[in-house]
Amino acid sequence: MISLRNVSLVYQNGVRALDNVTLEIGKGDFVFLVGHSGTGKSSLLRLLYREQLPSNGEITVDSIRVDRLRRSRVPALRRHLGVVFQDFKLLSDKTVWENVAFAMQVTGAHTKDVMRQVPRALDLVGLAHKSRMYPGELSGGEQQRTAIARALVNYPKILLCDEPTGNLDPSNTTEIMELLLRINLKGTTVLVATHNQAVVDRMRRRVVRLEDGKVVTDEERGYYYLGLGQGQILSG
Amino acid sequence: MDSGKVKFFLGEVLRNFTRNAGMQATAIGSVAMTIVLLGAFLFVHQMLAGVGKDLLNQIEISVYFKSDVSTKQEDALRAALAHDPRIASTQFVPKKQGLSELSAEEHGKIDTSSLLTENPLPDKLRVWVQDPQRVPTIAAELQTQPGVDKVLFPQDVVSRLLQLGDVMHRVGIGVIALFLVVAGIIISNTIRLTVFARRREISIMQLVGATNMYIRAPFICEGLLDGVLGSLIAVLLLVVARYALWPKIALALPWIAFNAAPINGLLLIAQLVAAGGAIGIVASWISVGRHLRT
Repeated sequence: MISLRNVSLVYQNGVRALDNVTLEIGKGDFVFLVGHSGTGKSSLLRLLYREQLPSNGEITVDSIRVDRLRRSRVPALRRHLGVVFQDFKLLSDKTVWENVAFAMQVTGAHTKDVMRQVPRALDLVGLAHKSRMYPGELSGGEQQRTAIARALVNYPKILLCDEPTGNLDPSNTTEIMELLLRINLKGTTVLVATHNQAVVDRMRRRVVRLEDGKVVTDEERGYYYLGLGQGQILSG
Repeated sequence: MDSGKVKFFLGEVLRNFTRNAGMQATAIGSVAMTIVLLGAFLFVHQMLAGVGKDLLNQIEISVYFKSDVSTKQEDALRAALAHDPRIASTQFVPKKQGLSELSAEEHGKIDTSSLLTENPLPDKLRVWVQDPQRVPTIAAELQTQPGVDKVLFPQDVVSRLLQLGDVMHRVGIGVIALFLVVAGIIISNTIRLTVFARRREISIMQLVGATNMYIRAPFICEGLLDGVLGSLIAVLLLVVARYALWPKIALALPWIAFNAAPINGLLLIAQLVAAGGAIGIVASWISVGRHLRT
């Protein structure tokens, strides 16, 4: 579903954000991308939705060669992807319903599809009863659920999350992670960049660890800290 | 057509337009002032051009025949000119008529019949041409015709007027271009501010896969609206000026033939509104495009 081969990214100021990264993520996987701030997690995600082009290497997302994608084809790629951010990126002058519908309306969706898919997405994240409220009237967790509903409303095959719980308290964090898990169980490939140790350790999913732009470990049922996962497997 | 889509689109345009009402008012006002100046300039320009053209159209070439010219030669020339597409009209003045015209001009101050035993005037042909610019060439051609003695036309006046017309044309184009650029910059800046105010929305649109065309469209409509509303206000002001001020100016400057050239008001209005709209579209296209590329 997602494949990076020898991908490097050097910013114009000379900073090497990613260094020869090779990574395969299969259909329906749930993958954590961990590492300290500035180790290239966000850069890697940005490459996947082509906010950024790699300096070297091949990137394939859902059979699309992203590194060779023409600018005019970028919107088509992004319609296959859902992206969620730490700061939600909601429009404060639109209601929950409008925020979610916006993602369909601006891509020229038919009104009858909007009327059908928006309630489904809101149901999935459990916000159907708050669809007329504005983001300012919601808790952080609810705002993030709105953002997730917006990311999912077009039925993407892949959901990319950049620090989705970075602004949330522990109970909201749990709520969001459970939601992401549920979305993953429905078949969506989910990639979560985070430095929230508790979440990673509790979920026991595949963990890809980045350090200084390099993949240092890739564990099938990993922990946040390097080696703990292997230790667990050895002792168990 | 999906009515929900149209409603959404128009809703977005209207929402943005009213949300930045102050900014839009500034833009519309500035465009209106620019277009008023442009309109006033075009008005005066058209009028002066009309006056100049009117003067040029009155210019006649006088062809004097030799005293021994035959009627046949005269008729041949008249016939040839009648078929020449460059010639607007001709008028043949036989020497007898020339004399009576002359004495009429002198209001009978000179009694030609008592002074002269013989008519000294030659036969004359007055020629008006279609395009004043061709006066010198046609005059030169006429000079070579058989039986023609002298060809006269107000050479100075013609060349001056032609030169003036040429200069006015160039200055006109320059001034119009200047006004349009100014209006364009104003609209472009306004749109840039609204683009900036909506950069969050734009980044979300890009994120969810809206095409650049789709992102552009509301801003283009906004620019179009700014341009058209501005120019409509300008047209309104110009129309008021035309009917309230014009008669007074005409009274104050009686030596200018104000009505020499009728001005096509509707055409002028259409041109101004179209110009306003076009500037709006171009300006907003450019200012959004800048943002989309980054």
